[in-house]
Amino acid sequence: MIRVAAVGDIHVGEDVRGVWAARLATVATDADLLLLAGDLTRCGSLAEAETVARELEGVGVPTVAVLGNHDYHGAHVDEMVARLERAGVRVLECGTATFAIDGHRIGIAGTKGFGGGFPGACGSDFGEPEMKAFVRHTRSLAEGLERRLAALDTDVRVALLHYSPVPGTLEGERREIYPFLGSYFLAEAIDRAGADLALHGHAHAGSEIGATPGGVPVRNVAQPVIRRPYKVYRFGDDRLLGDG
Amino acid sequence: MSGSGRAAEVYREQHVREALARDPRVNELGISVRLASGKLFLAGAVASDERRRAAAAVVAELCPDLEIHNGLRVPPLAPPDAETMR
Repeated sequence: MIRVAAVGDIHVGEDVRGVWAARLATVATDADLLLLAGDLTRCGSLAEAETVARELEGVGVPTVAVLGNHDYHGAHVDEMVARLERAGVRVLECGTATFAIDGHRIGIAGTKGFGGGFPGACGSDFGEPEMKAFVRHTRSLAEGLERRLAALDTDVRVALLHYSPVPGTLEGERREIYPFLGSYFLAEAIDRAGADLALHGHAHAGSEIGATPGGVPVRNVAQPVIRRPYKVYRFGDDRLLGDG
Repeated sequence: MSGSGRAAEVYREQHVREALARDPRVNELGISVRLASGKLFLAGAVASDERRRAAAAVVAELCPDLEIHNGLRVPPLAPPDAETMR
């Protein structure tokens, strides 16, 4: 059994100091790993980076994160990543982390991802340089995700994102803003490389459960969606001993 | 003309949403903002009472002429639960 706790969009600021350390106090009992699906902070300031690092340093299980758009707002990404890593949080941007748990191996491939929209209602790599840059940024991150996922040879593979790979977990949000909430490039990357689970946040008014067109389960773990400190996803021994 | 009055309200509502997104006391992108009959209604969920009060303070600074109805909530959390992946 591998047990993965996950939550996104915890948006730590000075006003919630200590709150998340308390909420995550049971993770080490409930799970083997903690995955954070971006937007760890409210505005990405250095003070918030310090606060969130302190909230996370006592979690007691290996912790892996991607950043979100709020974490980029303050333009202190390098400092934030360094502070989180000092707190024991592995921060992925088109990177991977692998762990051996209970005789099995789990691999996490992570990227913030970005927007662009979904088939039939998405931006194209065409026109003004700014539009091309927007679409190409997402494509570049999706390509990085695909390479990293494909390279994982673990029993369980999880894609960790901030932006959504599918529209299904955005239901509840206004359709007009879907292109700012995710991109099908991410789902296409996941379906090509294969994965057992894709996690994302970002869409606070979205819904929890979805799947890629290729059938990979997608879960929106944004804290306002799950309305819990975290969710736990269990991969049982029957699955681990099968074809995964 | 009532049309231009509503147009002004539409822009003003959006300026409030922008302020709530950008002001470092709040930085919330998902707050519902509605202006009607000289009253401004805020709705949605935020993470703390301090953020709830800060949102109202930001709006009050931007719109001192409006009566503000702060319907923002700090929702309670359920305990963690688990799903077994098939």
